[in-house]
This record gives sequence, structure tokens and C-alpha cells, in this order.
Amino acid sequence: MTWVTWRQHRLEALWALVLAGLLAVVTAYTAYELWVASANCPPTIGHGDCLSNDVFGQIAQSIQRFNLFQYGLAVLPALAGAFIGAPLVAREIENGTQHLAWTQGVTRMRWLLMKLALIIVPLIVAAALVGYLEVVLLNVQGPLTNRWDVFDQQTPVVPAATFFAVALGVAFGAVIRRSVPAMAATLVAFVIVRVGIGELVRSHYIAPLMKTTHDFNAVGTQADPTAWWLGFPNYYDSTGHLLGNLIGPGAGQPSYVIQYFQPGDRFWAFQTIESAILSGLALLILAFAVYWVTRRLT
Amino acid sequence: MIAPIEATGLGKRFGRTWALRDCSVRVPAGKIAGLVGPNGAGKTTFLHLAAGLLRPTAGEIRVFGRSPQSQLLLLLDRVGFVAQDTPLYGQFSVGDMLRFGQKLNRRWDQAAAEARLRNVDIPFDKQISHLSGGQRSQVALAIALGKHPELLLLDEPVARLDPLARREFMQRLTEAVAEEGTTVLLSSHVMADLERVCDYLIIIAAGQVQVAGDIESLLASHHLLVGPRVNDDVRLSGAELIKAQHTERQSSLWIRGRVPGLGAGWREEPLPLEELVITYLSAPHAGALPRPELEEAAS
Repeated sequence: MTWVTWRQHRLEALWALVLAGLLAVVTAYTAYELWVASANCPPTIGHGDCLSNDVFGQIAQSIQRFNLFQYGLAVLPALAGAFIGAPLVAREIENGTQHLAWTQGVTRMRWLLMKLALIIVPLIVAAALVGYLEVVLLNVQGPLTNRWDVFDQQTPVVPAATFFAVALGVAFGAVIRRSVPAMAATLVAFVIVRVGIGELVRSHYIAPLMKTTHDFNAVGTQADPTAWWLGFPNYYDSTGHLLGNLIGPGAGQPSYVIQYFQPGDRFWAFQTIESAILSGLALLILAFAVYWVTRRLT
Repeated sequence: MIAPIEATGLGKRFGRTWALRDCSVRVPAGKIAGLVGPNGAGKTTFLHLAAGLLRPTAGEIRVFGRSPQSQLLLLLDRVGFVAQDTPLYGQFSVGDMLRFGQKLNRRWDQAAAEARLRNVDIPFDKQISHLSGGQRSQVALAIALGKHPELLLLDEPVARLDPLARREFMQRLTEAVAEEGTTVLLSSHVMADLERVCDYLIIIAAGQVQVAGDIESLLASHHLLVGPRVNDDVRLSGAELIKAQHTERQSSLWIRGRVPGLGAGWREEPLPLEELVITYLSAPHAGALPRPELEEAAS
């Protein structure tokens, strides 16, 4: 089964390796340049501003400006789900080759489980490595860096999201039985779930903290750059009357401001919780896919 | 002796349609059995049930006395299957395809599989998608035979081949199974494909078995009577009327059995196999007739 899986999917493996490798090189390069720059950088300004002015520094600056790895890391799990997960069963059914594969000496269950293990494990490892480089990239930018902005791009969430996307693809492929519609369904469902979790669920993993201050210069990231500031600040006047989210002429005389936030030291707890959610979903979906292939495709 | 395939009351429904219904049939050991019927008759469904690819909705099927659904692992080594349109991995080379068979089967004779393809001059480094239809079928056959199956199931293996490739395929098939005494069940909607190689015939139409039996005994027991015009309700002693056709002056009666002492002006003609098959397929009531093979199966 190992050889068969390799022979069938080596092209996809090559693609995955090229894309993940490219991303890893870009991320590692930028991290290195930032690390070099950090040596002679005063702690008050971001290390990005200290990048050397030579051609290497400029390349690193361009990479940062276009957020190459951020986009790449957000998109790669979805691509793995659509291009590797969705055709896994669907392409066999499209070509009728499942009738060949399932009448050799290996049961359908074993065939599927072996294939899943042999494809998903290397993908998760690759995703974990690339996601870890993003962690390193943030580490070299110093302790004041905000990690929440790139929540989806760090290990362990990146490998968990990859696992989830591939499981989703396999299940859609088995149920829809055609590669291209299954790919589309995988992409749509993946985006909906990821955005849904990010926008609606994530901030509730642990009850947010509340900050009340009279110092209007200590609002949001100005108060704590490592925290995730939720929503807009709410300004109140001295009678406790809500003025709004902005201060300015005609808005009344603000007295204090209330904001909700998740502090920076909760970041890894949040990463763990979200990874557990995605992995749990992935396992459920895979169990369903195995049930479907062994029991319903009959 | 345990029959390679024995189905009792076997039925399979997809949604609201019965692809196969109340099918009771037995394939005797060592035979090359033909499963013949029009497209959509339920041939593929029957073969898939026997290969463990489908689960029956009603009744049961036994392969070597075991259920291909719940005891598949015990049967996979013993049953070879070539699916319709001989699916193979198009990106693989011929050599890769053989290695696929080797890796996925506990029982595998690599030397025999290689020799078989060498005999038909198929280069191992050629990509599957570049093979002709005939070559594809030969590769599929070599993989199915590679595990020395005791039962070989083939679903329309020659449907898309030209006449020459058909003949070649059938010849290789009969050679291979003659050496090992393999039981074969082979489906086709073209009678001519089966006539040369089969010694047992199962005729299936609209999801039901119309007739099954040894080809020789089928031929010996079916006749065409031609004589003066009679009515449809003509009584035949010792024979059953399957189909009747009339012109103004003449009647043709397709019968099973023999009418002793034919009346004046009547003559008995043998029924060619193809004609026999078409007769059953075109006579909707024929399936309700008692079937000769069930007597055998019961004994």
C-alpha cells in the first residue's frame, strides 16, 4: 500500500514539497534578515524599520510588505484540502479504479486507512514546520510583537487546519464522487468554517478581560501591543453615559474608556484550543468518510 | 461440492429501482459461464455483488460458501475481478500496474503475470494511457490472473474491443483458465462473444434471471417448430411454448422440450444459441417459466 500510495500521489507530493519549501525559504530568509537587523535596532521601533538598506534588506522588506508568508500560510491548508483531499476517493470513483483497487487482496477499509495515514501525516509534518518558521519570524521581532494578527499562520494551528481541510476534502470527495465539485465544496466549506471560527468563536475561548482607564493615550495596542483588542473602545462621560467609539469635536467630553481584550500571555492557550477544535472536527469528518466509503458506497 | 457462486433470492435496489430482483442462480465449478443480457439488465450489479463491491438489498449470495460482504477478506485472494471498461491507473506504466498487483495481493505470481504480457508483446515501460483497448484488457486480465484466482469475474471485458482483439482476448482467457481449472463468470450483451468460449449460460433481463444452464443441454432442449397456422393457445404435450409468431399461413413456435409425433406439415428445427437468447430476452413471460437449472441446484 505504501508503494501504491506513493506511486499514485507522488506528483501531488512534489507540488506540496515545492510550495511548502518556497514558503519555508521565504520565511526563513526574512526571519534571518530581521534577526540581523535586530542587533543594532533600538527597542522602541519595530525591527522591520531597521532592515539594512542593501539589496538583501530590501528583498526582506518587500516580502514583508506583501505579506507573502501570511497569505501563503493561510491558503496552503485550503489548497491541500482541495487538491489532495478532495480527489483522494473522488478520482478513483470517476475513473472506476476503485473497482480495481477494492478487488485486490486488501479490504476497502485498510486501503482507505493506509492511504489517509500515508498522505495526511507528511502533510501535517510539513505544515507544522512551515508554521513553526512563522513563529520564529515573530520571535526575532522581539517581545512586543503582536502574534494575534497572524493567528492562523502559526503552528500548531496551521497543521491542525491542514488536517481539517484534507479530512473535509476526502469526505466531500467520497460523498460527491466527482473531483472538481468536491474541490469547490471543500474550498467553500473550509473558508466558511475558518472565518466563522476566527470571527465568531475564537474570542470566547476564555472570557476576555476588561480594561478601564482615564488615559486616552493608552488605548488598544498603545496600551499593550501584545494583546488582542476586541472590538472598538467605548468612551464614557463622567456620568457613565456611553458616548461612542470615537472621541472628537461634538462627541461630548469623555471621562474614561472601556475596552475588552485577550492578553498576550493567553496566545498559546488559544492556539492549543483552536488546534484541538480543528483536529477534533477533522477526526469526526474522517470517521464519517471511512463509514461512507466502506458502508455507503455499496 | 461448494459452488463458486450461489445466489438465493438475491436482490439489489438503487433508490426506487430494482437493478436485480429475486435472483436464484448457481454457477458450477470449472465452467466458463456467460452472463448475458441487454444493457441495464443487472449483469454488473450481479458481478459487483459477487465481488463484494455491493451489498444485497434482499436475499444472499455465497462465493465458495462464504459471504462476499461479511467475509470478504477470506475471498479476496481467491476471486479475480475485471471491472467494466477495464479500469487501470492511466499514469502508471505497465510495469507499475503489475507491481500494484504484487503489492496489494498476498497471493501473487509475478513471473506468470510478466510472461502473460510478454506473450502478447506489451512493453512494460509503456504508460497505461498509451495502450490500445486490446492491450489494456490484456493488462487487466494479467492482473486479475496474477493471484491465480479460483473464480474469475469479468464484466463486459471485450465490449469496447475490435473483433480481432476480442478473439485474442477470449483465446488468452480460455488458455489461462484451462490450465488451472478456474471457474469464470463473464458478462456480455453480445452473444457472439460468449458462444465460442462458454459452456454455461445465464440469461438475465430486467433484473431477473430468465434461464440458466449448460449450453449443450439448453440447445438440446429448445427447438423451433414451423408448421401450418395455429392459435397462441395451442397445446403442446411435453413442451412449453416460449414464444409464437404467425404469418397468414404459417406459425413458428419457440419451445422448450420436445413434442413427440409432430403433426403433418410440421417440422422441428434446432434453435441456434443466439436465437435462443434473443427469444428469452424478447419474451417477457419467459422468466416466469420453471427454470431447468433450479432442479440441478436443488439436488
